Amino acid sequence: MRATTITPFVVASLCASLCATAAPVVYRAAAIHTVSGESFAPGELLVDGGKLRAVGKTVPRAAAAKVVDLAGLQLYPGLIAAPTSLGLAEISGVRATVDTTEVGEFVPDVEAWISVNPDSELIPVARANGITHALVAPMGGRVSGVSGLMQLNGWGVEQMTIQKPVALHLWWPAMQLDTTPKEQLADASKSKSLKEQASERAEQLRAIDRFFDDADAYQKARATGAKDFKKVPAWESVLPFLKGERPIMVHATEARQITAAVTWAQKRHYKIVLVGAQDAWRVAELLGKHAVPVIYDATFELPRRDDDAHDIHFRAPHILHRAGVPVALCLPMGGWAASELRNLPYLAAQSAAHGLPRAEALKAITLRPAQFMGVADRLGSLEADKEATFIAVDGDLLDIRANVKRVWIAGEEVSLESRHTRLFERYKNRPRPRP
Amino acid sequence: MSILSRLGLLCLPVALCAAELPPPGQRPEPPGVHALVGARVVIKPGAAPANVTILIRAGRIADLLAEGQPLPADARVWNMTGKTIYAGFIDPYLAQGTTNRPISNRWTVPIEATAGIAFHGGPNTKADMGAPGPGYEVARITPAFRVAEKYSPREKELKELRELGFTAANIIPTQGIIRGTSAFVLLTEEDPNRVILKADVFQHVAFETPGEREDGYPNSLMGVIASVRQAFFDARHQVAARTYFSENPTSARPEFNPALEALRPALGPKPVLPTVFEPGSALMNHRAKLLADELGLQPVLVASGQEWRRPELAKATGAPFIVPLTLPAIPEFPEEDDWQQVSLDELRTWDWAPEIPALLRRQNLTVALTTYALPDRKSFRPNLRRAMERGFTEEDALAALTTIPATLCGLDAQLGTIAKGKLANLTIVDGKSYFESGSKVAGVWIEGRPYLSTEAAVAPDKAAPKPEPSLPRTADVPAAYRGPLAEPASVLIRNATVWTSGPQGTIEKADVLIRNGRIEAVGKSPLPVRGAVALEINGTGMHLTPGIIDCHSHSMILGGVNEGTLPSTAMVRIGDVVNSETDNIFNQLAGGLTTANLLHGSANPIGGQNAVIKLRYGAAPEDMKFSEAPAGIKFALGENVKQSNWGEKYTTRFPQTRMGVRTFFANRFTAALQYRQAQTAGGAPVRRNLELEAIAEIIEGKRLVHCHSYRQDEILSFLRTMEQFGVKVATLQHVLEGYKVADEIAAHGAGASAFSDWWAYKFEVIDAIPYAGALMHDRGAVVSFNSDSSDLARRLNLEAAKAVKYGGVPEADALRFVTLNPAKQLRIDKWVGSIEPGKHADIVLWSASPLSTQSVCEQTWIDGKLYYDRQRAVERLTRLQAERARLLAKAKKPQPATGDNPAEKARAAFFQRALETAHQTSRCYECRKDN
Repeated sequence: MRATTITPFVVASLCASLCATAAPVVYRAAAIHTVSGESFAPGELLVDGGKLRAVGKTVPRAAAAKVVDLAGLQLYPGLIAAPTSLGLAEISGVRATVDTTEVGEFVPDVEAWISVNPDSELIPVARANGITHALVAPMGGRVSGVSGLMQLNGWGVEQMTIQKPVALHLWWPAMQLDTTPKEQLADASKSKSLKEQASERAEQLRAIDRFFDDADAYQKARATGAKDFKKVPAWESVLPFLKGERPIMVHATEARQITAAVTWAQKRHYKIVLVGAQDAWRVAELLGKHAVPVIYDATFELPRRDDDAHDIHFRAPHILHRAGVPVALCLPMGGWAASELRNLPYLAAQSAAHGLPRAEALKAITLRPAQFMGVADRLGSLEADKEATFIAVDGDLLDIRANVKRVWIAGEEVSLESRHTRLFERYKNRPRPRP
Repeated sequence: MSILSRLGLLCLPVALCAAELPPPGQRPEPPGVHALVGARVVIKPGAAPANVTILIRAGRIADLLAEGQPLPADARVWNMTGKTIYAGFIDPYLAQGTTNRPISNRWTVPIEATAGIAFHGGPNTKADMGAPGPGYEVARITPAFRVAEKYSPREKELKELRELGFTAANIIPTQGIIRGTSAFVLLTEEDPNRVILKADVFQHVAFETPGEREDGYPNSLMGVIASVRQAFFDARHQVAARTYFSENPTSARPEFNPALEALRPALGPKPVLPTVFEPGSALMNHRAKLLADELGLQPVLVASGQEWRRPELAKATGAPFIVPLTLPAIPEFPEEDDWQQVSLDELRTWDWAPEIPALLRRQNLTVALTTYALPDRKSFRPNLRRAMERGFTEEDALAALTTIPATLCGLDAQLGTIAKGKLANLTIVDGKSYFESGSKVAGVWIEGRPYLSTEAAVAPDKAAPKPEPSLPRTADVPAAYRGPLAEPASVLIRNATVWTSGPQGTIEKADVLIRNGRIEAVGKSPLPVRGAVALEINGTGMHLTPGIIDCHSHSMILGGVNEGTLPSTAMVRIGDVVNSETDNIFNQLAGGLTTANLLHGSANPIGGQNAVIKLRYGAAPEDMKFSEAPAGIKFALGENVKQSNWGEKYTTRFPQTRMGVRTFFANRFTAALQYRQAQTAGGAPVRRNLELEAIAEIIEGKRLVHCHSYRQDEILSFLRTMEQFGVKVATLQHVLEGYKVADEIAAHGAGASAFSDWWAYKFEVIDAIPYAGALMHDRGAVVSFNSDSSDLARRLNLEAAKAVKYGGVPEADALRFVTLNPAKQLRIDKWVGSIEPGKHADIVLWSASPLSTQSVCEQTWIDGKLYYDRQRAVERLTRLQAERARLLAKAKKPQPATGDNPAEKARAAFFQRALETAHQTSRCYECRKDN
């Protein structure tokens, strides 16, 4: 089963070779939250060769298995941040350190994973709170390129990139009209009538279709194997997404964008994942009907309209879930949010406090993103035959007061040290002034 | 003006030039004696129309003759049968030029607004202060500008006004903040020397923020207000300084300043000149009044169309209002779906607009009408009719066009009614009333000379079909959605887990008794209670905490958070621009926030004065202020003040380095000391300097310093500089590297008001760590966590939980990071911050532990009044959504035909953002530069 789902795009699991020599280990913990199925309290995990071999109240003790007692700790799958600019920006205010956003309107052959700084100080900070994987995606233009899934451990980009490309990123054009009166515009010369704007909007929507029509034509021409056929890198990058095998991640915010994107995807038979989706709750029924996956990034955005409920974005994931929409949660893209990525579990917590069933809230930061990316066969939950990527928490993961104590990625325990812990240690030990 | 006209050769009206026969070649003058016979004459508002004959002689009303009285033999008789005659209409606020522009109040974005913030060097380095030539130091303060010196009639415009029935107008200056004086003119195309009835009618002030387009101080609303305040103080000082100099001719010579001279007539105690304020928003109407009182001015206000937001504040001004009849028109959306983006606020503004004149009258205010700000003057009459359909009476309307503007402009002896001896200014309509639809202005008489309408007369029955009356108002009164939900005299909360944040610690199964807005008792349940209790709340399973306090907020500020132009803007005051209308208040109440420290931004080393407020939703700005809180001011260090991230243009303002920041503080504090010395030294009167006064108050211990700071070196340098001047810093804001110098901060006694876990967004926060709060707490500093964000302020309880996570601060102490500690930092802990007997009853009821992410705020109380209730919030929302649905349905209907085809500009006016709601998006003012 597993073997058949591995595509040529999947980089061979590094740990398979790295960890092959390690002996099997049984981890005993106060609780195991499998996410995909029942939880065990207490429970055990059997890890061998970087993979989970068994999960349950107890697991068969293989000969020579080491037993690690994680007394008092609760185990969860590693958390997945998707999509994010992690690794593409160090200090968002310092331009030289920012590689998040390329120019050009249609640049599908921009690949995000190659530019991740493996030694970014932001990565260990995110990892220390349980983020083990990040879908690093490019920003800019209409089609900004393709994203790759990184595990937050490894020697360099090539080891860290575990799936590429994962998704093509399409940024749906804004459909709201700019109604700012001329006198209130910073630059009155840029003022456009509503009509003009509407026709520009229509043109932008047509441009999306033209782009994908062109891609179809390229695919067709390519298939003919004509002698004078010339490869175009940009079109090559789009090919995997045309057949609906891999997802196009459509970044859209307001209801009209979302509706338009869903209609578009239905018409073209594309597999899409909505990202951002602040207004998705307004069109939950439509999304549910077509089971469109949503990665919701607006949990902590202020209400969009003056007649929206003050807590609508806290409740939106629950509304979507009730309508049958599979929901993942993420922070917004950009360098700022990359530095805040460690707060990912608290998006889930906020949704849970406002109606989303707890199990769903946990899924929204683990199994759901794995499913949306097509890697649920190896990540996202604690099940036999999946990667041994899990975190140990000294309490409820969704409670801010709890701390992630240990993290394993593909069977290998990773350090939770970061710039923050180093500075903390250093200044905690600053000699106190003499009285 | 040509030489000929100066010589009087073009002087036409025989009434005025009767003595001089014009030379041949010009049209000979007709005789100047007229009898207007047979009309219905309305001599003044409220008077019944009467058939009297108006006798005009030499430009004045010579007599009113009853029906049948003999006419003088020399009178030229005009048969006015079927017409109605009013005193000539007056526009008290006429801007010359074809496109009137409403006051510009673009919201200025704080730090991100890199474009356009310019600074022309340090104090006293400018060759010309402000504009070229002598004048005020702020270029847009030009009180010496006189319309009377610039006015020339423009025929097209005058004709248009006459066809609306206007005979005279007060022409206003249109540029700047303090704009100069207006001139009252007759609306004829004659020699300007003759048509100006009165020069210097009003001094004019507009709260206009230039936004990004203009350079220099001031570019925020609070800066505009501060600059007006300073200018009038300077004018007062000028008077005193001149007097002193004339008595002491060997003393230091006062400067010549024509701007200050020009302000003198507007100054009290009994101003010669009233001052017209164009405040541009509902809240600023009241601010203008308070400012006028402070400065001794006599205010007249120009309505903004936003008065519906707070009619009671308009009432509180007691000032006469000049009211434009701008009515937004429903926009033409290209697609049906585009209606989705129409906000409730836009719909309300649209629906209320015709009611503004009536609403102001209901507040017993004097109302004059103007054509000002109309995108198309032709819409004046249809718009007036719509105002009348909403309750503005005919008598009020006539008064608003005649007697009231005449009195406001000080010309009631000449104009305003039809009375013997007054100027013969008359407005004449065909038919029974000016105010009826379809009635036509037949013409006007101005100073005894007829100007007949050139438009073909339309028989009333052939006029356009009588328009549908517009629909009654659909929008609700905003007050219906805010204000306390309950105000019981006493409240007893039973059996809750009470986090007192005080010496009693956290008590399980405890009762809290509130009486008259104060905590009366706290203790283990059951608490003995004497006397009746108005409301008892079962708190079983719930947690009760003190109201959350945010020591760093920008969420309720009007018209720009930064006055970032000058390196010191100690004179600007957030207290002038508190925004009581923003949704942020409700959103944050829903997260348990009860008190916020509204701070100026961090664009300059010495920023503006802060305002501590309570989130009394529904109260007006002055009533939101935490009256017991001591005054304070915002300072800032580091990248923002040295303009590191403002763009490449910004390299000339001092300081550009952290070295210079210290130098700057030392300089301004020394200047403040010298200022105080000068004030007590005697001799020539000292100019009241609002910047140095605020700094002197810091040195005197009367004003708290809240200093935005990042790096350890700058923190130390700042503390040491303040120590030199004997100043104890109240708080270091953000204080990201404060953990590195926690001992020094604790020894100084400064509070640390920190972010919980922000980092890496700019270079100076590369060493920020989430353990900072715990480390500083451990070293004895008073630590709080602030929001600096309208989002985070909704969940500061969860920010406090991060102090437990990062560094293991005990839970009760962690909660104090957002309750008692910020109260201590703001020196308001005597009243708030903990649940202790005697303190204000500012409390929050939570569904679970306030530090748990599963906890939801159920109720928020301030001063013993319920301001937020989770269940009631649902009802409120349902009503709001129903209101929007009703308004939307109404807006989509064909609009009542008012005879005017709404101009594009009237449609654009639909989207005019009110200052009060223009800000609703931003999260972080400090630093966020993403996207």
